[in-house]
Amino acid sequence: MFQYILKRILIFIPTLFVISLITFMLSVNVPGDPVEQILGGGGSAGEIGQSSSRLASERSYIDKRKELGLDLPVFYFSLSNAATPDTLYKVHRKPHKEMLDGLIQQYGNWPQISAYYDAIRQLDLAIADLPADSLNQDARIGMRDEVFKLFNNADANRISNTFGKMDAHMQSAPSMVGLKPEYSALRKAFSEMQEQATPYKNWIPSVHFFGTHNQYHQWITKFMVGDFGISYQDGRPVREAVWTAVSKTLLISFLSIILTYIIAVPIGVMSASRRNSRSDQIITTMLFILYSLPSFWVATLLITFFGGGDFFDWFPTYGLGNDYDSFWVKAHHLVLPLFCWTYGGLAFVSRQMRGAMIGSLSQDYIRTAWAKGLPGSKVLWKHAFKNSLLPIITLFASVFPLAISGSIVLEIIFSIPGMGKLAFDALSARNYPVVYTVVMFSAIVTMAGYLVADICYALVDPRISYSNKK
Amino acid sequence: MAATPLKQDYWSYVKRQFSKNKRAVFSAWFVFILMLVAVFADFIANEKPIAFKDKEGWHFPVFKEYGVKLGLTRWPAEWANMRWSQMEFEAAVYAPVPYSPTTQDYNNAQFASPFEEQDVRSARWRHWLGTESLGRDVLSAMVHGTRIAFMVGLVSMSIATLIGVFLGALAGYFGDDRLQVSRISLYLGILFAIPAYFYSFQARAHILSAAIADSFLAFLFQLIISLVIFAGFTGFVWLIGRPFQKSAFLGKKIGLPVDIIVQRIIEILVSIPKLFLIIAIVAIAKPSVMLVMAVIGLTSWTEIARLIRAELLKVRNLEYVEAAHALGFPSWRILLRHAVPNAISPVLIAVAFGIASAILVEGFLSFIGIGIPPEVLTWGKLLSLSRSAPWWFAIAPGFAIFLVVTLFNLLGEGLTDATDPRQKR
Repeated sequence: MFQYILKRILIFIPTLFVISLITFMLSVNVPGDPVEQILGGGGSAGEIGQSSSRLASERSYIDKRKELGLDLPVFYFSLSNAATPDTLYKVHRKPHKEMLDGLIQQYGNWPQISAYYDAIRQLDLAIADLPADSLNQDARIGMRDEVFKLFNNADANRISNTFGKMDAHMQSAPSMVGLKPEYSALRKAFSEMQEQATPYKNWIPSVHFFGTHNQYHQWITKFMVGDFGISYQDGRPVREAVWTAVSKTLLISFLSIILTYIIAVPIGVMSASRRNSRSDQIITTMLFILYSLPSFWVATLLITFFGGGDFFDWFPTYGLGNDYDSFWVKAHHLVLPLFCWTYGGLAFVSRQMRGAMIGSLSQDYIRTAWAKGLPGSKVLWKHAFKNSLLPIITLFASVFPLAISGSIVLEIIFSIPGMGKLAFDALSARNYPVVYTVVMFSAIVTMAGYLVADICYALVDPRISYSNKK
Repeated sequence: MAATPLKQDYWSYVKRQFSKNKRAVFSAWFVFILMLVAVFADFIANEKPIAFKDKEGWHFPVFKEYGVKLGLTRWPAEWANMRWSQMEFEAAVYAPVPYSPTTQDYNNAQFASPFEEQDVRSARWRHWLGTESLGRDVLSAMVHGTRIAFMVGLVSMSIATLIGVFLGALAGYFGDDRLQVSRISLYLGILFAIPAYFYSFQARAHILSAAIADSFLAFLFQLIISLVIFAGFTGFVWLIGRPFQKSAFLGKKIGLPVDIIVQRIIEILVSIPKLFLIIAIVAIAKPSVMLVMAVIGLTSWTEIARLIRAELLKVRNLEYVEAAHALGFPSWRILLRHAVPNAISPVLIAVAFGIASAILVEGFLSFIGIGIPPEVLTWGKLLSLSRSAPWWFAIAPGFAIFLVVTLFNLLGEGLTDATDPRQKR
């Protein structure tokens, strides 16, 4: 048995490793730039500002990126093509990187592309430093917007379209001459890039190695010693954020699991013992309906009817109350969520219980028990019930992970700051550290749940043994 | 006494058992009717008349629309911006619900209640389930939502079944030692895996990502091209490995641990909370119904794979499979003709329950507003609108989801009972 457990735990390690890779790759590919979300959209079009202030904002962007460790290469190695430089990850902003990527796909000549990129940045700064006068206001803003487009666009037709508009802006005010050197340098860089294209380089594979100084390595090594990083959204340690969320989710889950089992087990046993009677049929149908009711519909209806919509204003529908609230206020907040959490599981568990009981009630030893003249309750609870516990135990193991990862659906609807909502919010806000932690955490708990279930099987049913399996 | 002897083969038996279960038969019929609604949604709820007559004679705009979509014919210019509901024709046949899900009835905007008076010409034009904030008819959206719900359920579970049966059969039939390759093929395979991946996926990454932004079908097409390139590499490896097969060392056969690999993949998928995984994948790409179906399918095959694997583990050592082996039939034929059919009934059950849960997941995704494009009205999206609507608004869409989920669950139950020999009645 001990060997079996050890073996299972050893198998966890590669599985967890792959899960960590999947989570990591998924989050890296989610569109959106976390740094820009934190700083509040630094690179947007519109305002012009001085080049010094623009440089300062660039600086703060780079610093923030460095602080978050996002300036490192993503993984230990990368498989790319000969046209892509191994330093592309150093380009700061995600949209810029995508634009450069697009150019590389088309032209495949990194030196010229990088010169073109520098020329755009020079022009951008020159526009910011161009002294404003009464005539060039529109032209300056127009140029700024066009530069912004260049930063985000790799399509040759749209770039020449942009150049056309830039030409017009350059002519529109006399003082725009100040931008002439940078603008012509940009045009020259662009045509050089087009003329000296080497697109074939895209078809030559090349592998770059980055060593251990990469984002994944940094994250996983810290994760293993229990440092989950800092949440991007509020600067709190992720450990703290996850801990508060887990405590909220666990509170509801445990209450609802207890309620579920207290109600479901007797219902299941009773309806099995009166199999095919009128009351059994009614109960079975009711349970079936409960089981199929979508929880987000029930929650919506409950909020509409009992949460101060057009009807009764009996229960609060938002959150779980504050920490300083009294027990009764908190309990009041819990009523509707607890109902939604419980009814589905209740139906499920009692159906399983009923099925298991019917299975064991039809066994020979039950007939023997009756024949011995045992009282009905003893036959039911001692002989039949004990032997139908097996499926209920499996259920408990599958309920356990759910108790931790929470119900995303219900937590969103009731605005309960638990694990599900934390994960969902983190995902929408590109809050990677929280996303990784939540996923890894639920994966570990799920696998542990399955292991516990398998061990329980063996404990309950002596016929199941893992030790002499191959 | 019996006039005709009862057929004794497995499926006739299952059919007989199933037809005895009234609830299951009822839900099968109900599902069939709802499928008809899904297929003929355009003829049930449409602002365009099915047929109308003007000076030039009879026209059939709904059929015409299909022609336009298929690229067979053009939409007449005068129909392009027509407000169909305001037109007066000499004669016209309207759909039972004379509104499309996109039709905005400005006279009855802001949640016109089904229980109160509505500003409509006659009962014929009444909004039987009311309207939403922009004046779009709820009943029409419900009818067209049926189509999306069924599409999501059926397509995603078809994907799941394909993957599940394939991987489950592979794992169960070949186990860890029966799928044998020669050493040289293995070495060359590992060596060429990187260039094969590079040329089929990495070098085409921008084409693939452009296609995914364009439409799912375009993506599927490009994906197939990539897979063909990959298959080409595989064939190449096989070709250049052939001369070496004779060598004692390089030609030695090694068993591939297929079972272990498939088991690990299943374990990984099961360990990540499914809904969370779906949300994460859906959040990356552009919203589309196809994407939602694909993602649900790609994450729901584990149960089916497990069932097929367990069945094949049992079957592969039975005499008739060994006999087929001895007769020299190829492995794939034994798999498809002899082993898989035995596992069909548990898979059917899993598919019925799977459709119910796929529809539930889609409902939830559109409820929280991700995955489904904003212009497509689904049941889940209607339900999400009800947060800022009068009470009656939440009833119909939620009930529709509930109904379909119940029906498929009942079907699954019925199949379970019908295929279980212990449940003989």
